[in-house]
Amino acid sequence: MKVSLFITCVSDIIFSDVGKNTVEILERVGCEVDFPAAQTCCGQPAYNSGYVKEAKQAMKQMMQAFQDSEYVVGPSGSCVGMLKEYPAIFKDDPEWQEAAVDLANKSYEITQFLVEVLGVTDLGATFKGRVTYHPSCHMTRILGVKDAPQTLLRHVKGMEFIELPVKEDCCGFGGTFAVKNPEISQEMVKEKSQHVSETKAEYLVGADMGCLMNIGGRMRREGKNVKVVHITEILNSHEQGGGIA
Amino acid sequence: MSIKLGDRSYQERIETGIENDFMRDAVSSAQGRFRNGRITQAAELGDWEDWRQLGSEIRTHTLENLDYYLQQLSEQVAKRGGNVYFASTAEEANAYIEKVITEKNAKKIVKSKSMVTEEIGLNQQLEKMGAEVVESDLGEWILQLDEDPPSHIVTPALHKNKAQIRKTFAEKRGYNGSDSPEELAAFAREQLRKDFLSADVGITGCNFAVAESGAITLVTNEGNARMVTALPDTQITVMGMERIVPTWEDMEVLVSLLTRAAVGQKLTSYVTSYTGARLEGEIDGPEDYHLVIVDNGRSKILGTEFQSALHCIRCAACINVCPVYRHVGGHAYNSIYPGPIGAVLTPLLDGYEDHKELPYASSLCAACTEACPVKIPLHEQLIRHRQIIVEKEKKSPVTEKIMMKGFAQWASTPAAYKLSTKLARTALKPWTKEDTIKNGPGPLKGWTNVRDFPAPAKQSFRAWWKEREKGEINHDHS
Amino acid sequence: MTIHNQDAFLSNVAAHLGRPRRMSGVERPTWSVRPQDRVFAGYSKEELVAILKKQCKAIHTDVVEVSTAQLPKALLQAIERYEGKTIIAAHDERNTTYGLEALYEQLGEKMEVHIWDAQLGEENQQIAERADIGISFSDITLAESATVTLFNHKDNGRSISLLPKSFIAIIPKSTIVPRMTQAAQQLHTSVEKGEVTPSCVSFVSGPSNSADIEMNLIVGVHGPVQATYIVVDD
Repeated sequence: MKVSLFITCVSDIIFSDVGKNTVEILERVGCEVDFPAAQTCCGQPAYNSGYVKEAKQAMKQMMQAFQDSEYVVGPSGSCVGMLKEYPAIFKDDPEWQEAAVDLANKSYEITQFLVEVLGVTDLGATFKGRVTYHPSCHMTRILGVKDAPQTLLRHVKGMEFIELPVKEDCCGFGGTFAVKNPEISQEMVKEKSQHVSETKAEYLVGADMGCLMNIGGRMRREGKNVKVVHITEILNSHEQGGGIA
Repeated sequence: MSIKLGDRSYQERIETGIENDFMRDAVSSAQGRFRNGRITQAAELGDWEDWRQLGSEIRTHTLENLDYYLQQLSEQVAKRGGNVYFASTAEEANAYIEKVITEKNAKKIVKSKSMVTEEIGLNQQLEKMGAEVVESDLGEWILQLDEDPPSHIVTPALHKNKAQIRKTFAEKRGYNGSDSPEELAAFAREQLRKDFLSADVGITGCNFAVAESGAITLVTNEGNARMVTALPDTQITVMGMERIVPTWEDMEVLVSLLTRAAVGQKLTSYVTSYTGARLEGEIDGPEDYHLVIVDNGRSKILGTEFQSALHCIRCAACINVCPVYRHVGGHAYNSIYPGPIGAVLTPLLDGYEDHKELPYASSLCAACTEACPVKIPLHEQLIRHRQIIVEKEKKSPVTEKIMMKGFAQWASTPAAYKLSTKLARTALKPWTKEDTIKNGPGPLKGWTNVRDFPAPAKQSFRAWWKEREKGEINHDHS
Repeated sequence: MTIHNQDAFLSNVAAHLGRPRRMSGVERPTWSVRPQDRVFAGYSKEELVAILKKQCKAIHTDVVEVSTAQLPKALLQAIERYEGKTIIAAHDERNTTYGLEALYEQLGEKMEVHIWDAQLGEENQQIAERADIGISFSDITLAESATVTLFNHKDNGRSISLLPKSFIAIIPKSTIVPRMTQAAQQLHTSVEKGEVTPSCVSFVSGPSNSADIEMNLIVGVHGPVQATYIVVDD
């Protein structure tokens, strides 16, 4: 199966390991991965701020970049969720409407793709450590993916899994919200950090680097020793002895 | 009062909210209870999504045919001996009510909780003309004695604690009991009972008007709305024009959604459906009945992308799940309609000028959209508002505009984007220490004031991919 | 009776909806789902009684189930438990059917028992205000929410279930339906037949309550502070 990686700008620039792990996982389950280099950002920062005209420029770039792809798979529920909104955004634009529908229909978040398209639930991963999971808002509520990440995590050997209290609460990231309303965002992330501490987890796992960058950044500032990892890092972990340096 | 509560700036309101520890504890614990109640009740039904779908279909159909159903309602009410007044504005509504009160030479008016009367500032108008107005919902009564606005649309005094309430009762009504909630409530019962019995006019809002028969349904737990509708000889119902359903069957569905979504109850203690004036030989109920149907900006929402905001049944489920509301409290919204639905409705009803920050007071986490029992896409409507603020109202900051223009350039030019993936780490180097930025420049400052920002990767993903393609990195996993 | 400003107001609504005014011919569509019909569908009366009893616990309401013959005794016990000195009851033909007239007469010797009397006008309200207990028959009983539906009329004032400190509802088993859906259907049918619906339909579920002070549940605010249901096997 041919899969095009949608890296997301955050993982391209800041968290490149997420992309490497995603590629390796996809190849392990037999996918042929390519990386259309013309891809940029899904447009969400502008779109969610009300700059639809500006967002559309990014979106058009993305539609072009992935026009020949069979499947588009990315390591972020939020960014993939944005692609899924394209048809509504371009519904009155005859030139782009078809491409928008096409891209939305073939795009998947990585755990969603593994479980729902490939039917893979066990990647044979081993990971030693006490882990909790934050289900990101856009992943669960906009993309509607609730079970896939947890299904995959359940099959990881050696891991101790602790449920995060009030896990469905937003961490306060919200893209530009974090910089536009820093006071409120701060209170939200403090609360999330507190909930993570309550689990006494060594690792906080998530499927969206935006949220993880926010929670992780707060916990580091608080001097907490919790490691923040993207789910692909766990799912791609095979060392006996587990853990991440 | 009107929709807007006061003149404090957004920043000031947010800070006051965040600093109010009692309020935040109270709101947080209330949200927990509301959320559990709603989730338990929804789970018990087993098919909550079907219920939401049905609720949404009923509201959609009703709003699409609003003129027809309002006509039917008004004719049914008139047939049952009631007067109906269609008020385009708050001023018209208040003037009509004042006229009724003057004609009755009424001195005392009892009210049951009604958001629309808050919206049109009715109490202030009536007090100006010398009438005594008594709010009879326990929470509203507390606020009235304390001259404080509501902070929640279902439990208006959520931000007050029992010690504050005891003090208010003592100062305003000579209460000398303890601060036990039971004792405070018993005192309110005794005080307000006198008002119910001596009132000349009763005024209520309306949860759902049933078009087919002219019945007005009120949903309460305390029983005050029953008192207000049973005892005074003159009764006035004030309803927002969208608070209507076609038939009793539709009313039932929406009441079932409302009580579950609002307070996690199968039904509230009282669901009361009253129609027009009392019938021949009846003693309870008004002999003179008036229904005031209020537009006050609602019709402007019809036919727009915000029409579904008028589906709202005022359950506050969106407020009860909102993390922003939890931390800043209801007063920070500076509107009688707080929370996500408030952030959507307030600029529509009262303009963007005074409320342009509200659509941004959301992380767009969509918890509100998920909780809404009639499926209003609240977070999407917040994005629409932002778009209007940027494109039509032109009220977004200049620096933001410049940044977004830059964003569009960057994200639509692969070469520029690629260059940035190469330069990002170097560009941030002056602020980076041990791969962490603790005091970022420009727009990063809001971020790094409260949390660390990671330094960009040493090698971007695309650089790694390129190397790998050239065969410089091992593909093999076996 | 008058309707003011209707035309201008509704024409404006229609204009904003972007079409001519609709004055007739609007039909409710067939909804895509009807979850309300599925709730307790096909349940027997006994099963519905069991649901009602369970829900009574949640709404702080005492409930007993008796035969017709036991009803007067059960009612007397409830009155005694509430230490009733003044009682007000609806003027309901079921008082005769269920043999309550004799009980009320007998009780009248040691306490004030008032049967609602439309002829007395406002005095009924005054008695209800000082009464300790109000007694009504349920017209339709909703199992799911443990709700008694009262069709108020000239012989069954709204005050009876509202002003006294305690409320006793007599629930003939035959009145029990799964939920509010069935009561609403009955009212809708009645409208369609052109009948005059009651000036007030009160759906009452237990005593009054409030959570307005620090979210503490306070049972008993403006309406009755306690309630008992007596389910009668009719």
